[in-house]
Amino acid sequence: MSDFLLTQVINYGAPFFALILFLGALGFPVGASVMVVAAGAFVQQDLLDWKLTASLGLLGVLLGDAISFGMGHYAKDWVDKRFGRTPAWKNAQDSFASRAGMAVYLTRFLITALAIPTNLIAGGSGYRFRKFMTYDAAGEATWIILYGGLGYWFGTEWELVSNFASNFGGLLLGLIVLGVGSWLGVRRTKVIETRKETEKIKVPEV
Amino acid sequence: MTPARQRALTVGLIVVGVLIVAFFGLRTLRAFREFRGHRPPPPFGRGEEQQAQTDVELIRDWMTIPFIAHTYRVPPKVLFEAVGIPHKGNEEKSLTRLNEEYFPAEDGRVLEKIKAAVLENQPPVSPNTPVPSAP
Repeated sequence: MSDFLLTQVINYGAPFFALILFLGALGFPVGASVMVVAAGAFVQQDLLDWKLTASLGLLGVLLGDAISFGMGHYAKDWVDKRFGRTPAWKNAQDSFASRAGMAVYLTRFLITALAIPTNLIAGGSGYRFRKFMTYDAAGEATWIILYGGLGYWFGTEWELVSNFASNFGGLLLGLIVLGVGSWLGVRRTKVIETRKETEKIKVPEV
Repeated sequence: MTPARQRALTVGLIVVGVLIVAFFGLRTLRAFREFRGHRPPPPFGRGEEQQAQTDVELIRDWMTIPFIAHTYRVPPKVLFEAVGIPHKGNEEKSLTRLNEEYFPAEDGRVLEKIKAAVLENQPPVSPNTPVPSAP
């Protein structure tokens, strides 16, 4: 899949690159980060114009993100009916709202595997579209500059960068999953200990 | 959520987290070693000053003949002739596709012919040209 898309980027240039980023933002497995690194290398080789490639790419990915935010937004009614009354969902909404900006920004270029779920949650939790797009644009611009810049710097050896970046993203995702699991474990242990203490106090001494 | 479910979720997240960290950690380490073993080539200049790539091991199956010709500064005509296929109608096809169309019985033949033709027809190496990486 990735090989086929790389051939088409060589043949059709920046518009095709933008289309790939658009599809990637909608959740299609197109290896968008690999394409950004490769596009940086193609710019260095004078095959693509950097201004056109960066601006069309940014436009494509922002459009895709806006649509996936919209999908979350229109699923909001269903989610509210299904989970709206549960305290867990309300807690999750509050928790997301307090860190949404940072979550949107970081998932654009650091933990890209979580970008689509973040868009859907942002849309479904009633997060403001304008705010979402501001953080989204900043994050996607960072992604294109960072990954594209590395591709440009390494030129024809761009595959090394791409390989490292995709594995590093996976490692960060694993650390987050492990962190959340550990945090839940610690919290649960504290709750159990508090309960035991309370029970001790309640039991009258003989 | 019941306490049993909470416990299962916590244990599940920790186990999955450890597996993901171990899997991608090893891959990241390997990629990092490879990454550090290669220094990026000096930044290319524009136009005439731009350097050609010389390492034919970087030629991949997804590349097209005009792309390889551009990267390695070899005339496309020479590469099409080396493979023995017409220029017309084949400019946008990858090496994989050309191989499937013209040599379905011989896997990797187009790639090998292209590598050999590039090695034979490369322009003279200037002192600033990136050195091919070690195999």
